[in-house]
Amino acid sequence: MSNAAFGAGAVALGMACAVVGASIVVLGLAGRRPRWFAEATTLVFGMFAAALAAFVVMERALITRDFTVAFVAEHGSSRTPALFNFATLWSALEGSILLWTLILCGYVVAVVLKFRRQGDDPMVGWAVLTLFVVSGFFFLLMLSVAAPFNTFDPQPLADGTPFDGPGPNPLLQNHILMAFHPPVLYLGYVGFTVPFAFAISALVTGRVGEGWLLATRRWTVMAWGLLSLGIVLGAWWSYETLGWGGYWAWDPVENASFLPWLTGTAFLHSVMVQERRGMLRVWNLSLVIATFSLTILGTFITRSGVLQSVHAFVESGIGPAILTFFGLIVIVSLGLIAWRGDELRSPGRIDSPISREGAFLANNVLFAAFAFVVLLGTVFPLIVEVIDGRTISVGNPYFDQMTMPIGFALLFLMAVAPVLPWRKASGDLLAERLIWPAWIGAAAMVVSLLIGARGWAPTLAFGLGGFAGGAALRQVVLATRRQGWRGFVGRTNGGMIVHVGVVLIAVAFAASNAYVRQGEFTLLPGETAEIAGHTLTYEGSTFREYSNRAEWTAAVSVDGGKAYEPGIAVYPFASQTIGIPSVRSTLFDDVALSVLSFPETEEDDVILRATIQPLVVWLWIGGLVMAFGTLLAVIPGKRRQPTAPTSARLPEPEYDPEPLGVDA
Amino acid sequence: MIMQERQAFWIVLPVAVALGLLVLLLATGDPASERNNTFQLQGEVAPLIEGPTIDGGWFDIDDERGRWVIVNFFSTSCVPCIVEHPELVAFSDAHDALGDATVVSLAFDDRAENVVKFFQDNGGSWPVLAQDTGEIAVQYGVTGVPESYIVAPSGVVVGRFIGGLTAAALDDAIATLTGADT
Repeated sequence: MSNAAFGAGAVALGMACAVVGASIVVLGLAGRRPRWFAEATTLVFGMFAAALAAFVVMERALITRDFTVAFVAEHGSSRTPALFNFATLWSALEGSILLWTLILCGYVVAVVLKFRRQGDDPMVGWAVLTLFVVSGFFFLLMLSVAAPFNTFDPQPLADGTPFDGPGPNPLLQNHILMAFHPPVLYLGYVGFTVPFAFAISALVTGRVGEGWLLATRRWTVMAWGLLSLGIVLGAWWSYETLGWGGYWAWDPVENASFLPWLTGTAFLHSVMVQERRGMLRVWNLSLVIATFSLTILGTFITRSGVLQSVHAFVESGIGPAILTFFGLIVIVSLGLIAWRGDELRSPGRIDSPISREGAFLANNVLFAAFAFVVLLGTVFPLIVEVIDGRTISVGNPYFDQMTMPIGFALLFLMAVAPVLPWRKASGDLLAERLIWPAWIGAAAMVVSLLIGARGWAPTLAFGLGGFAGGAALRQVVLATRRQGWRGFVGRTNGGMIVHVGVVLIAVAFAASNAYVRQGEFTLLPGETAEIAGHTLTYEGSTFREYSNRAEWTAAVSVDGGKAYEPGIAVYPFASQTIGIPSVRSTLFDDVALSVLSFPETEEDDVILRATIQPLVVWLWIGGLVMAFGTLLAVIPGKRRQPTAPTSARLPEPEYDPEPLGVDA
Repeated sequence: MIMQERQAFWIVLPVAVALGLLVLLLATGDPASERNNTFQLQGEVAPLIEGPTIDGGWFDIDDERGRWVIVNFFSTSCVPCIVEHPELVAFSDAHDALGDATVVSLAFDDRAENVVKFFQDNGGSWPVLAQDTGEIAVQYGVTGVPESYIVAPSGVVVGRFIGGLTAAALDDAIATLTGADT
């Protein structure tokens, strides 16, 4: 059977499983027949098997260059190297929806396995229903506007050469990170579906206890960690391949991934207030829902072409479908919150603003403001156009100016919050706990000034970074003294490691943006140029031909050492020319080289651009530290005794099936 | 007390309205690629381009009335500009003989000696302005280089290319526009 037919069959089977599964769960919930919706979870495995089969078939078609599948004919080619050929699946719309669906079905299977003993609990039933509906939506996309298995009739060219595809976008096949960045990002994006499903379920069932939070806590942390890693990998990829010397441009697509990260981060913090004090319940539900909605909105922004973006995806009819889905999520969620909100509210109050919960509240206000600023900047061009028809673009100056104070405030909170006790703090206690972090912060400022850093903003960033990093390390040191190796694991301790990663990124971000030096040089072979204390020697150029491209590279030695090879690649079948930057990284600074113009003969000169930025490599190290900290955070740490007064849960009302149907 | 009981509703309402407007905005917005096809100068008299050229001459766009002018903003350090250049050379060579179209290049944020060398190396004999081009670029609303504007023989701006162009695309555009500009 052909790949196209088999794949299309798998997609249809997945859709059928989702529809039948959702229907049985609905009937079971409506008729109060727990056995029904417990049994319906079996269909989840069918859904996953279908998605997996579709994925395998598509990879098979790509690997065997089966051009009868339209997706392969449009995006694959026989010249693409093996790894990028495998990654071609997520280089274009239809395949990336397929990958999304597969990951989603994987999460759904994991949920069903994890909660198999509570399968007849309506709480799980409603969550599974939500997951069926979301999965069904993605299968529906693959059956309609983003069908991956359309057929194609490959005809040999007029001169008799067999048909060959153009291959994926050249920018997507010149760096190994492209093979990892999208799947990791998707694992993060899609992971937020699970807490969303339980939030919806909590709202519908009206079970105000903290049960759903505890149940999904680890899922949220994992999804958040993967999203963080995905974003950092994306920045790394653009730094290594786009060659403009930057890694973050406040592009709509970058913002689309950053928005759910901001609300997700806010949630991870405020959820602790709910667990410890039973407060902020509705707010936490709203944050989970907002995070999931923003992943869908982000997908819309990325895929619809409504906003101009350097990522420039090909347009398709998928925009209206995703926007409709987004609207549906918003209507259902807001309706549920309006209906249930007042019942869910807790009577507790925050005793003092100088307390852990007060700090978490401030954290939430800042993250919400951050998300609002980014969202406003992203859609502002559309607003202006509606109002007075002008086309404007909102660029770095807006984002930098608006987000910098928020960033500073967050760094400050990162330093102070971890040492604050719950309920109320005294000045003496704060002074005692913050003295060492404050010294580290001051030392960071002094050292940075001594080694030549200037400007108030970066210096402040270094100082606050030292302060926050010091506070995080202090917590880890204290925890390991008390608990040995367990001082590294568990949410709080792992969270401190994550804080260290965030501080590294903040410091690297401040330094690399504030002290960037860029120069352009026209060099003959053998000539050297000096910039920012580095010597660049142009040694000569090379021309190489590969199966998918032709490359001119210039050998440039940096500081008399190894030669780096920036160049220009021409992908004839995609009729595209792209730069190949080359970066020399050290722990102290990066020298990023790109070629601007190429010699016609070997003796001619070459125009080189060199961008020198300090501490860039710490962005990637910080990202890895964050991912590592997240891993530590999901390992169970020291268990708190459930009878300890600080963690005593509010009494959870028994499940009462009556209010389910018509609520009086 | 009634207010207290319906608090969630009153908080949700403005959020719902704001999100509803956002959805409406996103749903009715034209795709970015379509919006690009209209721009502020479309149909207006071309802003003045006047100044010394790198070969020591003087260029005034008003002297070019009666033929098509391709106003090309570029920079010697931008790769798409370098890729585009031979296409402009081909276009210029083809139309110089006919006399029905010319090209004027404006170096954007660049040094004059780089520009001179660029044209020596890569060919091209049309007028090139390398000094004080920033203000002109602002008047044309240049968003980045390369970017090119088509000025009709009547002196009105009729088209724009964002990014690199090809000689064939230019000829096609002029052929399409010829009917419109009479």
